[in-house]
Amino acid sequence: MSSQYNLTSNEKNVLIALENLKDASPDELADKSEMKTETSMQAAFLLEEKGLAQVDETITEIFELTDEGKKYAQEGLPERQIIDAISGPTSMDELKDKFNPAVAGIATGWLRRKGWAGIEKGMIVPTSNAEKGEDEKILEAFAGEAKTFEELGADKKVINDLIKRKLVVKTENKKRKICITSEGKELVVAGITVEEEVAQLTSELLKSGEWKEKKFRPYNIHTAPRPIYGAKIHPYQRLIDEMRRIFLDMGFTEIKGEAVQSSFWNFDSLFQPQDHPAREMQDTFHLSSRSELPLEYKDKVCAVHENGGETGSTGWGGKWSEDIACRNVLRTHTTSLTIKYLADNPEAPVKAFSIDRAYRRETIDPTHTPEFEQLEGVVMDKDMSFSNLLGCLAEFYYRMGFEDIRFRPGYFPYTEPSVEPEVYVDGLGWVELGGAGVFRKEVTAPLGIKYPVLAWGLGVSRLAMLKLGLKDLRQLYHSDIDWLRKSEVCQL
Amino acid sequence: MPIITLPYDDLEKLTGTDKDTIIKRVPMIGADIERIEDESIDIEFFPDRPDLYSVEGVARALRGFLDIETGFREYEVKPYTVEITKDENIDSVRPIFGCAIVRGVKFNSSAIKTLMDLQESLHWGLGRDRKKVSIGVHDLSKVQPPFRYIAADPDYSFVPLDFTEPMTMKEILEKHPKGTRFAHILDGFDMYPLILDANDNVLSFPPIINGTLTMVTEETTDLLVDVTGLSNEVYTALNIVTTALAERGGEIEYVKVVNADGTEDIPLDLSPRVKVLERAEIDGLIGMELPADEIVNQLSRMGFGAKELEDGRIEVQIPRYRADILDNSDIIEDIAVGYGFDKIPAVFPMNATVGKSHMLSDISSDMREIMTGLGYLQVMPFTLTSDRVHFDWMCREKTDDVTYVMHPISEDQTMVRTTILPNLIEILSMNQHRELPQRIFEAGDVVINGKNGLHLAAVSISPQANFTEVRELVDALMRERVVEYEVVESEDPAFMEGRRADIIVNGKKIGVMGELFPQVIVNFGLGQPVVGFEIDLLD
Repeated sequence: MSSQYNLTSNEKNVLIALENLKDASPDELADKSEMKTETSMQAAFLLEEKGLAQVDETITEIFELTDEGKKYAQEGLPERQIIDAISGPTSMDELKDKFNPAVAGIATGWLRRKGWAGIEKGMIVPTSNAEKGEDEKILEAFAGEAKTFEELGADKKVINDLIKRKLVVKTENKKRKICITSEGKELVVAGITVEEEVAQLTSELLKSGEWKEKKFRPYNIHTAPRPIYGAKIHPYQRLIDEMRRIFLDMGFTEIKGEAVQSSFWNFDSLFQPQDHPAREMQDTFHLSSRSELPLEYKDKVCAVHENGGETGSTGWGGKWSEDIACRNVLRTHTTSLTIKYLADNPEAPVKAFSIDRAYRRETIDPTHTPEFEQLEGVVMDKDMSFSNLLGCLAEFYYRMGFEDIRFRPGYFPYTEPSVEPEVYVDGLGWVELGGAGVFRKEVTAPLGIKYPVLAWGLGVSRLAMLKLGLKDLRQLYHSDIDWLRKSEVCQL
Repeated sequence: MPIITLPYDDLEKLTGTDKDTIIKRVPMIGADIERIEDESIDIEFFPDRPDLYSVEGVARALRGFLDIETGFREYEVKPYTVEITKDENIDSVRPIFGCAIVRGVKFNSSAIKTLMDLQESLHWGLGRDRKKVSIGVHDLSKVQPPFRYIAADPDYSFVPLDFTEPMTMKEILEKHPKGTRFAHILDGFDMYPLILDANDNVLSFPPIINGTLTMVTEETTDLLVDVTGLSNEVYTALNIVTTALAERGGEIEYVKVVNADGTEDIPLDLSPRVKVLERAEIDGLIGMELPADEIVNQLSRMGFGAKELEDGRIEVQIPRYRADILDNSDIIEDIAVGYGFDKIPAVFPMNATVGKSHMLSDISSDMREIMTGLGYLQVMPFTLTSDRVHFDWMCREKTDDVTYVMHPISEDQTMVRTTILPNLIEILSMNQHRELPQRIFEAGDVVINGKNGLHLAAVSISPQANFTEVRELVDALMRERVVEYEVVESEDPAFMEGRRADIIVNGKKIGVMGELFPQVIVNFGLGQPVVGFEIDLLD
């Protein structure tokens, strides 16, 4: 019968102990069941949940004299001390001479309130015979001990006044009483056998085979666990890895390169005019070092800037400066890597990607950081077209989990046509996500790239804000360790 | 990129349609709507389209795109009545000069503001902040032709805009707000550009300021537009400003420029540039076959003149206000934009290639697997840092292999890191309110002598952190990497003497580990022991 309650041995011991106790205190129960007080009470609560015992809690108010209260209980309240000491009108100065000024101060207020004396022209004038008040009786009734309300036989208001005068403090005393219920009693009468329960399976129990005879203490499976967190990779890294996998799945080769790039590879090779505002120090981290220009390309790039070279373009006009092209910068985009890779690998087909850091001279705020990850994909092959670019974008964004995508005209100095893909995000609407285009001939021809190049890129950190629900980009780089601990591996 | 404010009443009148249609369609010609207000809309246009920097220009483009008025826009240009002579000295100061007259324009205050905004946007977009192009617009009735464009002595004086007393040009550069702002453009010249009328009244001191005499007011009807500069964008700017004024009902009249050698120029040329496109080039770039009439139709909608030649090629007339047409691909893009990107099929290229991840990514990925397995969380801090954090707080001597940025934006980011450990300790210092122990790592880029390297570093902070912990960690790591290593006493001042070791592989130091020197811990504001290591993954 007891099995239906699935009692632990502690619970059984407590139940048996309770059978012969009536309204037991926790200590009495601990004594009787031969357990620690906490353990026996824990079992008692569990028995209460099962309806086999009852734990009653009564709260008793206990009153106690403060140090000041104890002093006055002996010496009398200040007003009593003074009224006893004067016989006729007495000046305040005289009182302050005779008594502690604090006592005199407290006393005058109470003398008037109790109607024992009046104040006239700075003199205290006794007006009654000052019978012993309820408050004084109570102070005596304490007799220096903590007492309950009933023991003091006091009036609530008088006690409260004494509490307000900080002569008495009130504490609450919780008392628990445990008794057995009728169901509990039935169970005990029917007989409970207490067998030893095993807390932990050990190798000895396994080797000896004793485990077969033992009863294992059941756990309360409903107890909430303490949260623990495993070490893991950064959620941002997971997003980057997901994008890398998409590219690798689509047959793209990963490329990496230097953070320090010449202006030539960062700007000039991409047909960015030398006086373009993006090249200025407001936007770009310039370095004091310089690079050698690649001999095989520099004259052709120069010509295409100045007059279009052999491309049929008008070029930008003006004079192209080798000196400006040599100056090193921290790469402002990863396109400096892809363009160099294309120049070094002119054999079609090329499909390549990079996800790496780019640097812009931006003041840090929630949506701007001076360095951020950029994703870049390029396809170079015979007969590639804008239509194929849209195909790459649609496939890529679909694999990124964006099913609705649309294309808007865009502008980038090194692509034509240029397009800004937008994806539909629930709750946000159409969100611009990156840029794309077909490399201009002014970019490809001087580097000897014979076929059309499709290129697209996007700011990965922006995407991370979207996917990880971040409000502040800085969280990616200056991470809160708790955020990392609690980030979910399967969130994305 | 410039953001243009377009008042609805002007925009609707000039375009000939309602604002809701405009708001709906304008993004599809290549623009981002920034703000929709009660009276106007703010739109950011791309920097390659300075012809869209005014309400007149936007209306012109929209009329085509919305099929209200398509095709090449002809502007009648009346013969000259005004001459300007160009002084030979000016050729070495600000040689390129454009000029035209527009008569019969009706101005109200909002039209004047639009004109001023257009000039400012062109100064930025085409003129590189007035260096290459600067524009002046003048009330023609206040001055007497013929005019002269000369290089004048800096002591020449006149009353500039916004002032009431005459100032010399030198004083303007020193005291006038526009003077101080743009004086750098005239650095190194001892003569300054000046445009004068027949009575030596000053129209303009390019590229700084106009004279107050010719200021445009609501009474102005006839305008002289001058554009000066260093490059051919001068003429583009002249075309954009004069055609915008013509869109407002003005009549354009060209101006004759007489050069010092007696030759004559007419700077205003609104006749179309002509290009002939092969159909294969168009179809090849867009990736679909478009019928000739479709191509012609779309070009017309985008403001070009276009016709199919007998041999099937397409002849395109390019308006002179279009600064963005450098090459055929720019025209083909407009065909695609006109046709609509949404109607172009998205076809994934079916060329087969084999994907391959980069060796450096593979290494980092392995390190992440090892380190997370050992209980370390990955972090990804910035690579930009400062001498203070990187060297001073680490109690390390500055090294000479550091890449410093020339104009740092804050004193926290003056250099690219050569080691990762300082970044990690910084992250610990930001997480002092979080539960200990904290164990973090990064496998990331460093830049040494201008070249990227790949390092792995980790730190652990807790009351029990000690040398044994990091010694075991490094040992486990090297075992997983299948790298034989040995340790020797280190001298790295970032670590505590007797509790630090250099990590040696093949006789070469590849890293260091140990308990951080207490002063380092204190420098970062931390209050518990920290241990850590850093190794070069490429050595």
